[in-house]
Amino acid sequence: MSAPVQLYAWHFMAYPYLPADFDEKFETGWVTVPNSLWDRDRSRGLYKEYIDQLIYASELGFDGMVLNEHHQNIYGLMPSPNLIAAVLAQKTTRGKIVILGNLLPLHMNPLRVAEEYAMLDNLSDGRLIAGFAPGSGPETFNYDVASAPSRDQFWEAVDLIRRAWTEPGPFAFEGRHYPLRYVNPWPLPTQRPHPPIWIPGARSRDTLTQIARHGYCYFLSSRSHGKETAKSVAQFAKVLEDHGDSYRPDRMGILMSAYVAPTDKEAQEESREGIWYFLKNCLKGHQRREGRQLTFGPGVPYIPADEWRTYLQFSNPSTPLLGDTQDWDDLQRSQSIIVGSPETVTRRFMDILEHAQVGHLLVQFHLGNMKDELARRSMQLFATEVAPRLREQSAELFARSFPDVAEVAP
Amino acid sequence: MSVHNIDVRGRAVSLIESGEGAPLVYLHGFADVHAAPEDFQPFHLRLATRARVIAPAHPGCAGSAELPDGHTIDDVLFHYLETFDALGLERFDLVGHCVGGWFAAEFAVRHPERVRSLTLIGACGLFVEGEPIGDVFMHAQPERGVDLKTLRHLLFCDSDTAIAKTFFPDGRADLETEVRRYQMLRFGSFAGFKPPYFYHRALRDRLYRAAMPSLVLWGEADHMVPLAHAAAYARNLPRCDGPHIFTGAGHALVLEQPEAAADRVLEFLASPR
Repeated sequence: MSAPVQLYAWHFMAYPYLPADFDEKFETGWVTVPNSLWDRDRSRGLYKEYIDQLIYASELGFDGMVLNEHHQNIYGLMPSPNLIAAVLAQKTTRGKIVILGNLLPLHMNPLRVAEEYAMLDNLSDGRLIAGFAPGSGPETFNYDVASAPSRDQFWEAVDLIRRAWTEPGPFAFEGRHYPLRYVNPWPLPTQRPHPPIWIPGARSRDTLTQIARHGYCYFLSSRSHGKETAKSVAQFAKVLEDHGDSYRPDRMGILMSAYVAPTDKEAQEESREGIWYFLKNCLKGHQRREGRQLTFGPGVPYIPADEWRTYLQFSNPSTPLLGDTQDWDDLQRSQSIIVGSPETVTRRFMDILEHAQVGHLLVQFHLGNMKDELARRSMQLFATEVAPRLREQSAELFARSFPDVAEVAP
Repeated sequence: MSVHNIDVRGRAVSLIESGEGAPLVYLHGFADVHAAPEDFQPFHLRLATRARVIAPAHPGCAGSAELPDGHTIDDVLFHYLETFDALGLERFDLVGHCVGGWFAAEFAVRHPERVRSLTLIGACGLFVEGEPIGDVFMHAQPERGVDLKTLRHLLFCDSDTAIAKTFFPDGRADLETEVRRYQMLRFGSFAGFKPPYFYHRALRDRLYRAAMPSLVLWGEADHMVPLAHAAAYARNLPRCDGPHIFTGAGHALVLEQPEAAADRVLEFLASPR
């Protein structure tokens, strides 16, 4: 019997108190969104509410809790996901703690990340999944990270951290970006040889090659799913084969969002406000054509010019992004935010799994300004009504698709 | 006019060359040859009526290779030292626009014996408190994915002029133009993004070494490099002619008022030393 799909609850921790006319008045929710909009009084207790939702996910039996790093934006209020992870490490006893990830070029010395992640692995008794990301457009502006050299910097930092965890210290690291005379972190991580390493990517051949070479897990950093997702899996499988390895579901994860209620109608009614707040406000400046998106483009030239040329040849600047979603039908097509009854959500998740065959589903439950009780009830229904079916059906699916893989472990 | 590549210690460097006479090296900017247009524009061609104009593309731009090992200002300067050596240019007139002006000034303070004269047009390079250089990277991200109005405003005196719309129309340009612009932004990100932002605090105090005749030209409505930078260069260059301020022009003075700007340079070059 193959292991089932692993199900994680991802919290982005959006800022939920924007004025109703935010979209009309502001060009973006990122980087330059004025922080005079931050309401110090209403925001008291906000982190506790969000952290409690993640603790609840652990209690409901999710396989893990997911955090990530963002700066100076309304989409995600975790400049330091490691702080939240430290709380979760102490307040929960089960479930992986996935940080996806620390943005390495933003850290002056990646050794600090090696140390903090090692602390978190100890604090959580070996439950850390160590994600590393290079950061994208907004970080360029937020932290003054030059785009062009950032990829090279990123991969050097990942190498430094992996070696810091696995090679006996002290040793000298003769890097171009981070030359260090004494690498010798105390503590070391609990997990041997090191916590699983996940790397987000968007189909860059260079990224996949590095992931394949080092046996990392590939997290596809796309919010929408469909044919492209299956293509990404096929592309990754090919790169793995080129490295004498083979694809198995536990090598790859994707992000989905979900809202579950007893009926499709209730699900739509209850989630409408949160979803549209998320699409119109949180994605403005990131994945929406309206305003100025800073995530990808000529102003954040982190990919080499020949990759940019390829991108231009196969893309259309007027293609709608997720944040341009107009209505429920539109939303359904993007296969990003799945809304409905347990039956609907199970069926649609299984559709995606059948096409994509990925072993890690990272599910966002709290969207935009969603009320605490709604997010909790949706998670609870997912955990009790959807998750058991997904686990059973995915185990069968993976057994059929990957008969040679005896055990699919996280 | 000749467009060709030369080999500089194993690296390709693209050059456009035109005209005869004393050598004049031209270092380009964002809204300029090798970035927005591919070929010489009226400004460059007019200079070429009286000089042998040689315009290398910066590393990673047009057909020039990216530098394999480092992109600090010193790396870029050493690249140009090697390029001028490879071209056999012992002594020449040096003209730079935008970041090209920054490199020209940095080269002149390092190797003043090789620079017969120095011309700076809307040049980056100086830190002027309270007068930050505009964020070309932010504005290169089009609004609604297609609208380049604010980039045109940054680079031209007005976002709606015909010349601004000729070089940066809304929507996606042809593939080669898009790639060239991208290459220039990528080079800019290597050379001048990571603080300081297209400037070098030490440069101002070194300008005394650039004792050759120098000329400073600026568009009055330069929204990328504020006019205060023109004054700062003029104040600190020992033999400066200028600043000459062109009304009705912005950062892309060389595209906006090519004849007037080129004539001012030619007059300067012809003046007795």
